[in-house]
Amino acid sequence: MAKELHKEIYDLKGRVISMGQLSLEMLDKAMLALIKKDVKLASEVIEKKELIREYDSEIEAKAMRLIALYQPMAIDLRRLATILKLITYLARIGRYGKDIASVVEELSDNPYPAPFINLEHMWEHVKTMITNSLKSFEEANIKYIEDIGNIDDEIDEMRWSIFRECITHMMENPKNITSCAFLAMIARYLERCGDNACKIAEKVHYMVTGEHIEIT
Amino acid sequence: MIKIKIENLNVWFGEKHVLKDINLEILKYKVTAIIGPSGCGKTTLIRSMNKMHALIPNARVAGNISMDNFNIYGNNNKYKSVDPVLIRRKIGMVFQKPNPFPTMSVFDNVIAGLRLRGVRNRKKLEESVENYLKLTHLWDEVKDDLDKSGASLSGGQQQRLCIARAIAVEPEVILMDEPCSALDPIATGKIEELIYELKKDYTVVIVTHNMQQAARISDYACFMYLGELIEYGETTQIFENPRQELTEKYITGRFG
Repeated sequence: MAKELHKEIYDLKGRVISMGQLSLEMLDKAMLALIKKDVKLASEVIEKKELIREYDSEIEAKAMRLIALYQPMAIDLRRLATILKLITYLARIGRYGKDIASVVEELSDNPYPAPFINLEHMWEHVKTMITNSLKSFEEANIKYIEDIGNIDDEIDEMRWSIFRECITHMMENPKNITSCAFLAMIARYLERCGDNACKIAEKVHYMVTGEHIEIT
Repeated sequence: MIKIKIENLNVWFGEKHVLKDINLEILKYKVTAIIGPSGCGKTTLIRSMNKMHALIPNARVAGNISMDNFNIYGNNNKYKSVDPVLIRRKIGMVFQKPNPFPTMSVFDNVIAGLRLRGVRNRKKLEESVENYLKLTHLWDEVKDDLDKSGASLSGGQQQRLCIARAIAVEPEVILMDEPCSALDPIATGKIEELIYELKKDYTVVIVTHNMQQAARISDYACFMYLGELIEYGETTQIFENPRQELTEKYITGRFG
């Protein structure tokens, strides 16, 4: 029976990785849509929201079933516990992608002012964090997440710098207020995505070593 | 606080070396579970603690087991010098198959040990029967059938009767060798609850094949393999994050 459990956990891990790829794709496309002002691409992202929700409930139900049927222990238990937490973080990341895409629709009639370079730069960092934390989960190897706390610190700084920049634009020209308020919000969403990537890293660390850490 | 201390324990049955250099400290008022695959020495270890091998002709024991600094095997390995009856009064045992004395009534089963110790006062015996049957949550089920044979009870009731019999002589330690393996889930649940309550007043050592059971009821767990003690630690640590690869493999079913 143990073999069955291990096969099921292996399959479930594959589903989590697919879900992670979808979340990352949603966020990636939302940012691209924002930069290119591509409303069609943005609406594609918004449609994917339902898919993320389906992944979330499907994986949760399967993990719960495995726990009930096999009462797993040690690494098996830690894997399932990690999966149950990861899907929440991944669903949130996907939803932030959807939120950013909604902003693209809102902003379609407004001219954007300057802080794009910084948002793009911030996005690159967040993407690295998510990619690395997913890779550490996939390979059960914590070497990919050793640096994640440092990147998160940089992201926090970027977020405040973008915020200040947006305020400046708003003061310069009140016509920028709507778009800059949205852009400051997007910086906040990206920062939250980075935090979720840190939470994923924490759980993967627990899965691999059995020890809980806090990435601050 | 250490209740039983096992130092460099080695046991041989003839040529077969069944326990190898076991060092283990059993803590007072805690439940310690011993897990491991069949033939790893779990039962031998638990039986060593109350000299159950004393009558096996080719069994040989080296090393020390002491309870509260009292050496169970005597000094200089002249272990036969320490009276097993004395030890078993302090260290009770419950076995895999419920084994009430079949020719005795429920009443007589509970007080069998007390009678051996010479207690004759009828009132005191009646009090003991009620007290220990209540402790094992059997009283309400059997109070009208105290004169029936112990063997007439259900399997789970018989096992609780055996536990009542074991604790009636007021031991300090209770050894349990697979106490639930012959029972259904409901009877098992009752025994597990009982073990949980017993640790208030007793030190419990339990051998079990059911790892979920060990995880539920024990405070400490040790994993044995081929006569060696591989890992010993708090139960939550053993089952959530074992330090030894062998333990990990065993409890996740990746063995062999």
